[in-house]
Amino acid sequence: MKSVIENRKTTLTANKPTLRSSKHSLWQRLTKGMLYAVLILLAIIQIFPLVWLLFFSLKNNQEVFNTPPLSFPTSPKWENYVKVWTEGNIGTYFFNSVWITVVAVVITVLLASFVTFAITRMKWKYKNFVLGLFMVGLMIPVHSTLIPLFSFFVKVNLMDNPLSIILTYIAFNLPLTIMILLGFYYALPREIEEAAIMDGCSIHRMFFKIILPMTAPVMATTAIINMIYNWNEFVFVNTFISSDKYKTLTVGIQNFIGQYSTDWGAIGATLMISILPILLAFFVLSNRIVEGITSGSVKG
Amino acid sequence: MDKVMSDKKIIALYVLPALVVIMTLVYSPIVMTGYYGLMKWDGIGKMEFIGLANYTRLLSDSMFWQSAYHSFLLAVFSVISLGGYLLISLILAGKIKGANLLRKIYLIPMLLSSVAIAQLWLRIYHPTNGVINSVLTSLGTENIPLWLADPDIVLYSIFIAIIWQYAGFYILIYYAALKNIPESLIEAARIDGATPWQIAYKIKIPLIANVIKVTIVLAVVGSLKYFDLIYVMTNGGPNGASEVMASYMYKQAFRTYDFGYGSAIGFFLLLICLVVTWVIRKLTASEEEIQY
Amino acid sequence: MTKKTYSLIFLCTMFFLLVVTGCSSSEDTSSGSEQGSDSIENVTINFMHLWPAGSSRQQNMIVNEIIEEYQTANPHVKIVQEVLENEQYKTKLQVISASNELPDVGMTWPAGFMEPYVKGNRFTPLDDLLKGGLKESFVAGTTEAYAVDGKTYAFPLELNIVPLYYNKSIFAEYNLEVPETYEDFKHVVKTLVDNNVVPIALGNKDRWTGSLWYMYLADRLGGPEILTNAINRSGTFEDESLVKAAEEVQTLVDMNAFVRGFNGLSNDEGKSEFLNEKAAMYLMGSWELPNFTTNEEIPQEFRDNVGYFKFPTVEGGKGDIDSWVGGPGVGLFVAENSSVKEESKKFVKFFVESWGEQAVVRAGVTPATAVDTTALELPQLYIDVLNDLGRASNMTLFADVQMSAAVAETHLNMIQSLFGNQVTPEDYAKRHEEALAVEGN
Repeated sequence: MKSVIENRKTTLTANKPTLRSSKHSLWQRLTKGMLYAVLILLAIIQIFPLVWLLFFSLKNNQEVFNTPPLSFPTSPKWENYVKVWTEGNIGTYFFNSVWITVVAVVITVLLASFVTFAITRMKWKYKNFVLGLFMVGLMIPVHSTLIPLFSFFVKVNLMDNPLSIILTYIAFNLPLTIMILLGFYYALPREIEEAAIMDGCSIHRMFFKIILPMTAPVMATTAIINMIYNWNEFVFVNTFISSDKYKTLTVGIQNFIGQYSTDWGAIGATLMISILPILLAFFVLSNRIVEGITSGSVKG
Repeated sequence: MDKVMSDKKIIALYVLPALVVIMTLVYSPIVMTGYYGLMKWDGIGKMEFIGLANYTRLLSDSMFWQSAYHSFLLAVFSVISLGGYLLISLILAGKIKGANLLRKIYLIPMLLSSVAIAQLWLRIYHPTNGVINSVLTSLGTENIPLWLADPDIVLYSIFIAIIWQYAGFYILIYYAALKNIPESLIEAARIDGATPWQIAYKIKIPLIANVIKVTIVLAVVGSLKYFDLIYVMTNGGPNGASEVMASYMYKQAFRTYDFGYGSAIGFFLLLICLVVTWVIRKLTASEEEIQY
Repeated sequence: MTKKTYSLIFLCTMFFLLVVTGCSSSEDTSSGSEQGSDSIENVTINFMHLWPAGSSRQQNMIVNEIIEEYQTANPHVKIVQEVLENEQYKTKLQVISASNELPDVGMTWPAGFMEPYVKGNRFTPLDDLLKGGLKESFVAGTTEAYAVDGKTYAFPLELNIVPLYYNKSIFAEYNLEVPETYEDFKHVVKTLVDNNVVPIALGNKDRWTGSLWYMYLADRLGGPEILTNAINRSGTFEDESLVKAAEEVQTLVDMNAFVRGFNGLSNDEGKSEFLNEKAAMYLMGSWELPNFTTNEEIPQEFRDNVGYFKFPTVEGGKGDIDSWVGGPGVGLFVAENSSVKEESKKFVKFFVESWGEQAVVRAGVTPATAVDTTALELPQLYIDVLNDLGRASNMTLFADVQMSAAVAETHLNMIQSLFGNQVTPEDYAKRHEEALAVEGN
C-alpha cells in the first residue's frame, strides 16, 4: 500500500510545474501577498498572549495594573518564579497534573474510539439511542453536578482519591470526544473494512490495525483538546480532593489569591510554568495531525 | 460481513465501558439535578418538596430570561464565527508556505487556561491604560468606551473574548478534517481547472459536512452553558448586563443558597439544549446519513 | 502497534476492575483515626481555611505556629489543614455541607452567610467556651454577629472598620484640608476634578466596594440605626434619608468623583489607582493597613504619604463622625457532626486566644480580641485606627453581610446600577423593598 502512496506523491510533484505557470499573473501575486500579510498579522496577534504572559509573570502588582500590558517590566521580577517554585508543593502538583492528565486522556480517547466505531460502523438496533445518551452529556452545566457527584464519591469511598477526578474527567470529556470523532468516522470509506473482513480479519484486529491508525489525526486532535481541558481544570480538583498530595497545578494559582489582595505576578509565573509542558505536548501531538494524511488517503 | 459487524458481544464490549462511566457520573447528577429542582433546598439543611414551584418561578423570572437571551445571543455569534474559523482552516490546509508553523501559532491561545485569558482581556479592556483605550486616547477619540462597565456593550466585549478563546478549538477540528480529505480528489479537480474557491466550496466543504454539523451543535450547546470568562471578567455585571444562564444558575445555587432553584435552572438549561440540538439536527439533516 | 494497543486495552480493563473493587472493598483510608476518640487516643482534626501561604503569608505562618504549638502541648492531636482560595472555599463549603462532610474546624463569615449552615444544623454552638473569661476578651459586640437565636456558632478572628484613606501629597499639592463636613468633602472632590486628578479610587465590579459609600452616606444622613432598621424590617429603604443617600451617590458620580470605568474594575484594579497615586482617596477596610505601613513591595515614599480620615458628617444629618462601617470578618466554627467535637472546640479556644497579639504585630490584622497595644511596637497609622476603633460610637455591619444572601444579591446589583446611573434613587429603594418583602414570606 505504501508504494502506491509514494507513487502518487511523485505524480503530484510532477504535476506542479504545469500548474504553476498558469498562476503567475500579477493579480494572483498581489492577492497572495495580501493573504500572507493578513495571515502573518493574525499570527502576531495570536502569539501576543504568550509574550504578554511572560511579561505579566515578571511584574509586581503595581506594574501589572498600571503599565500597558505589552510594556517590558522595568526590572524583571524573576523572584516571582523563585517564589512559585519554593512555596508549596509545586513539584507534587506538577507530577499529579501530568499523570492525571495523561491517564484521563488515553482512556477517554480510547473509550470514545470504541464507542464511535460501534456506532458508526457496526449494525445494531439502539445505536442512535446510545449516541443520544452520550450527546446529552454535553448539555449539563458543570456546577449542577458538584453536589450529586460529591455525595456519590463519598458513598463509594473515592473522596480525596485521584480516581475521582480521573473518572470525572473521562465522563465529562467522553461526549465531546465522541462528537468530534463522529464526523471523521462517517467519512471513512467502507470498502476497507469490507476488504479486511473478507480476508478473515477479526473485528478487534481490524479496529486496532486499520481503523485506529487511519483515525490517528483526529485522535491527536481530540487528545489535544482533552489534554487542555484536563490540564486547566480546577473546579473538580478543588471539590473532590482535599489532600495536598493529590492536588494539581491549577491549585498552585489559588495559593496566590488572597481574601483582600492577590499576588498577580506570582499567578503569572504559575501560569507560565504550567503552560510550558502543555505547549510541548501540543507541538508533538499537533504534528500527528499532519502525519496522518498518508493513512487518511489510503482509500485508493 | 453484516454478521460480523453486528456481533452483539463485540458491540457490548466496545460500548459498555464508556456507557457505564457516563451513566454513573453524568446521568446520576442529571437525575439528581432534576430531583433537587423540585425541592426548596438551600443546599445545606433539610429539603422540602414543592413540586413545580421552582419552574413556575423560573418562567416569570425576568433576570433568568434576560440571561437566557444573552446565552442565545452568544450561541448565534458563535455559530456565525464558525464561518471565519472554517475560512482560516481552509487557507491553512491549502498548499501555502509555512502553513504548518502558522497553524501551530494560531492554536497557541487555546492552551491558556480561562484564568489567563480572563486576565489578558481585562488588560485589553482596561478603561484607562488598556490596549484598546490607549490607542483610542492617542488617536484623540472622544467618549472612549468603557468596555466592561457600560451595560450596553459589555456583553459584546465579552463575546469577542469568548470567540477568540474558542478559535483554536474549532480551527483545530476543521484543520484535521480538511487534512483527512483524500488528496486525490482535490488534485483531480485541480487538473480539471477548478479554482481554489470552487475546490473549497464544491469539494472540501461538502466532504467535511458531517464535521461542520457537529461543530454547530458543539458551538450552540457550548454557548448555552457557557460560564468561565463571564464569571471572572464581569461576574455577570453591571447589574446582570452580562449574565448568562450558567452564571445565573451558579449564583442562585452557590451564592444565594437557593440550590433547589439553581438546580431547576440547570435542568431547564439541559432541556433547552436538547430542544435546540434536535432543531439543529432537523435543519441540517440530509437524506442518506444516519439520523441521530 | 498491536502490542502497544493490546496492552493499553489490558491497562484499561485493569483500571475498571480497580474502580469496581475499589468501590466494594471499603477500606477506610482517609479518616481511620477519627473514630471513637477518647482524650488519650490519637485524634486528627481537619481544619479548612482560606489563608494560602502565597497570598496571606503572615496569616498562614501564624496559623502554622499555633498548630505547631498546640500539637506540642497535645501530642495526641494531629491537625490537618486544607487551604482554599476565597471563592473556591465558599463553593466547597456548601458542596461538602450537602453531604454533611464538613471539616472539624473551618472558617465562616458572620450573619447572612452562616445562617443556612446554622439552620441546617451543621455548626455546633460554642457558648460553653465563652464562659470563663473568653467572652470578655473579645471586643464588645463582635461575637453577636455570629449568634443565631441567642447561641454563638463561631468566634471572630478579625474586626475591621472602614476609614477613608487619602494621599497627603496630592492633598498638599492642591492646598486641600482633610474635610470634616460633607460640603468640604465635595469641595475637595471638585478641586481635584478641576485639576484633572481622579478624586476617588473604586473597583465596583466587586459591588460591596460601592456599598461602603452608600452605607456611610446613609449613616451620616439618617443616623446609625437607619440602614439596620430597613434591613430588619422595622424601617424601610424608602425612608427619606436612605433615598437621599442614594441621590448623593449619584451626585458624586456626576461630579466624576470616581475613577473611570469603576463598574468594570475589580477592587484590586481600583485600589491600584490609589497605590499608584493616580487617585487621591480610597474608602476601604482596615485590612489594607499593611499596604500603607509595612508592605515592602510598595514604595516607602508612598506609604509615608498615606493618611486617613473619618467619613465626614453631613450638615443636618443624624450620624456622628465616630460612627463606623465595619464589622468582624472570618470566624472559626466547629462542625456539628464532627467525630472529634470536644477536641476541636479545645483547639478553637486555643486558636482565638493565641491569635490576637500575633495577628496585630505580624499580619497587620485588626483582631476581634482586645489587644493591649501600648507595649507593642506598631506603625502610627495602625495605632490611630485601633484607637479610633476603641472610641467608635457605633459600628454598622456591612450591608451585604447583614442581609440574607438573596437580598444581598439584589442590594449589590442595585448598587452597581445606582453608581452606573441606570436606576433612579426611588427605584433603587423600591427594588430593595421588593426583595425584602419576598424574603419576609
